[in-house]
Amino acid sequence: MSSIGTGYDLSVTTFSPDGRVFQIEYAGKAVDNSGTVVGIKCKDGIVLGVEKLISSKMMLAGSNRRIHSVHRHSGMAVSGLAADGRQIVARAKSEATNYERIYGEPIPVKELADRVASYVHLCTLYWWLRPFGCGIILGGYDRDGPQLYIVEPSGVSYRYFGAAIGKGRQAAKTEIEKLKLSELTCRQGVIEVAKIIYGVHDEAKDKAFELELSWVCEESNRQHQKVPEDLLEAAKAAAQAALEEMDAD
Amino acid sequence: MAPPLAQWSNPLAMDSDLNDPHSMGTTIIGVTYEGGVVLGADSRTSTGMYVANRASDKITQLTDNVYVCRSGSAADSQIVSDYVRYFLHQHTIQLGQPATVKVAANLLRLFSYQNKNMLQTGLIVGGWDKYEGGQIYSIPLGGTILRQPFTIGGSGSSYLYGFFDQEWKEGMSKDEAEKLVVKAVSLAIARDGASGGVVRTVIINGDGVRRNFYSGDSLPLWHEELEPRNSLLDILSAGPANTPEPMSI
Amino acid sequence: MAKALADVPPKGGFSFDLCRRNDMLVKKGIQLPGFRKTGTTIVGLIFEDGVILGADTRATEGPIVADKNCEKIHYMAPNIYCCGAGTAADTEAVTDMVSSQLQLHRYATGRESRVVTTLTLLKSHLFSYQGYVSAALVLGGVDVTGPHLHTVYPHGSTDTLPFATMGSGSLAAMAVFESKYKEGLSREEGIQLVSEAICSGIFNDLGSGSNVDVCVITKGKTDYLRNHQLPNPRTYVSSRGYSFAKGHTEVLSTKIIPLKAKPEVAVVDAMEE
Repeated sequence: MSSIGTGYDLSVTTFSPDGRVFQIEYAGKAVDNSGTVVGIKCKDGIVLGVEKLISSKMMLAGSNRRIHSVHRHSGMAVSGLAADGRQIVARAKSEATNYERIYGEPIPVKELADRVASYVHLCTLYWWLRPFGCGIILGGYDRDGPQLYIVEPSGVSYRYFGAAIGKGRQAAKTEIEKLKLSELTCRQGVIEVAKIIYGVHDEAKDKAFELELSWVCEESNRQHQKVPEDLLEAAKAAAQAALEEMDAD
Repeated sequence: MAPPLAQWSNPLAMDSDLNDPHSMGTTIIGVTYEGGVVLGADSRTSTGMYVANRASDKITQLTDNVYVCRSGSAADSQIVSDYVRYFLHQHTIQLGQPATVKVAANLLRLFSYQNKNMLQTGLIVGGWDKYEGGQIYSIPLGGTILRQPFTIGGSGSSYLYGFFDQEWKEGMSKDEAEKLVVKAVSLAIARDGASGGVVRTVIINGDGVRRNFYSGDSLPLWHEELEPRNSLLDILSAGPANTPEPMSI
Repeated sequence: MAKALADVPPKGGFSFDLCRRNDMLVKKGIQLPGFRKTGTTIVGLIFEDGVILGADTRATEGPIVADKNCEKIHYMAPNIYCCGAGTAADTEAVTDMVSSQLQLHRYATGRESRVVTTLTLLKSHLFSYQGYVSAALVLGGVDVTGPHLHTVYPHGSTDTLPFATMGSGSLAAMAVFESKYKEGLSREEGIQLVSEAICSGIFNDLGSGSNVDVCVITKGKTDYLRNHQLPNPRTYVSSRGYSFAKGHTEVLSTKIIPLKAKPEVAVVDAMEE
């Protein structure tokens, strides 16, 4: 046994003597080492932002998106294994359409988060499955207003005012805490998110990155959309300027 | 049931086979007003030519804040509303908040549509929720769904279209709306043989639900209708002292 | 409804194709075997402290009275009984089936059965057979929520009423109820009214006849009054009785066939060998 450790981390169906499931914790590591994903709830909606690390300079800009729309009113940002994320997004989409087919109204964000979390949790219950190596930030707008959720690889989900996962989460969370989220509009929020992502990016250690931003707010008519091109560029410029100002200090 | 010999042929039998499926040749109405809805129905259930129940309740509760008026086959409409009540109960528990009128109506539509080959039932859903206020949905035979400010259904409705076109007004008060409904049902009862008995109404608004009952003899008399007098019931209820010999009347 | 069924084959549930075939054969003039129907008067009412059910006792088979004293008030649970009209086999089978489901449910829960439970079991069975199980029922009982009276129709629709009648004699019986029923009848008044309604069916409906069965259900007590009234006694019984002298029937021939040849048992001394 010594050559392969204690042996308690080989299966998702085996507990360690102190009650942990190592495979789930390892899945969490895949999230912790991934590019930063940030989501904030502003007074009129949700903004999602992703630091998408570029593995090759030859990759087409805008490909391998990490923010996906689930249905008209909600979207998901993925950190960790992108392919696992797509699997979850596909499930979320089918849950959303299914719900709407039966009940005739868009799925409430809470219900969507619960269903996605159940699906993620399901993959931690069988020895022939591998837990998802990704964390999800889910943002949506329903009749009860904008809501933001995180779904972790263990299958738990919590509702947040502001959330960050991935490599730069600690720094990002500190920055989010400084924001007055209840007064911020999404248009302002987009700038802040861009600043945070640019701020936490470690240029020395990491490859290049692309900023992905989406929102669902009054301005987007409560639809989950990519942030408009001009605003994205403005946000990037503002973030760059903020960085340079910091460097200058 | 022995077939009667030819010379004794039962005059009551006519074509009214008591084994016919129960149908509610009906008058049902749903009307929105400022702040809520009023549902109304007569109370006659018939098998062929026989009134199987003269005081039936065709306005069935689905949830605390949603009711449905049933017409067509009694068995079919009962089974559909029983199923939908069950699913709405589940849905309420799952979401942790009351189901909306839209959800209730859409479930009824779904059942009516998926089983359209086996069902003979037309429904009017009415209710109140905090998102969209009072709403009326009509779900006629094929399983389509129509949101309307007012709607009428059942065999008695054919006598009421013109009446409603003239009398229905946007933004009526609760009392105006209920008066309209009772008047309309009593008109239909006067002209439609398959409608009769009493008038039942259900008023739903933000404050809750109220059921009202209007007995047959309290309804207005329309063209050529006579005051009831000298009915057997009157004679019997006058008491034994005033009871004449039955054959001498 | 049968026409609508022909359009698209249903995805689930039962197939009623053969029922439609049989209807077609009957229309072409093929005689199907008849079955025993309880052309019937059954009634029920709610009185002061419970429910009273009543039934006549005639069972018919076409124009023949097949049974002059049958039982139409079926046991569902100790506190719930059910009158059946329609095809005797169907009412018998459906009430038996549901009463055994109720018994199992009582074993599982340790609680008294409820009338609504019975009602739901009956109606869901009847609905799924789309009226081909021809059982028309008057269901009555007293449970923890009080006295209840329901009617159940073969297609699975149900009504909740203070007084109810069913079967071919229902019109005659309903006339009695409509003119004499009132709220808060005493036990004696209730039994009297139920008997009167059943007698109205017995005397005015060809499908009903013979005697009056009554069942009185109150909280914690059920009285099944079998043959509560016998309004149709045999009018002529020979005073000399019906003993016939021996040899009254002529013997034409006699033939005796032994059932089995008698085996011969040889007595052998076992010790001899």
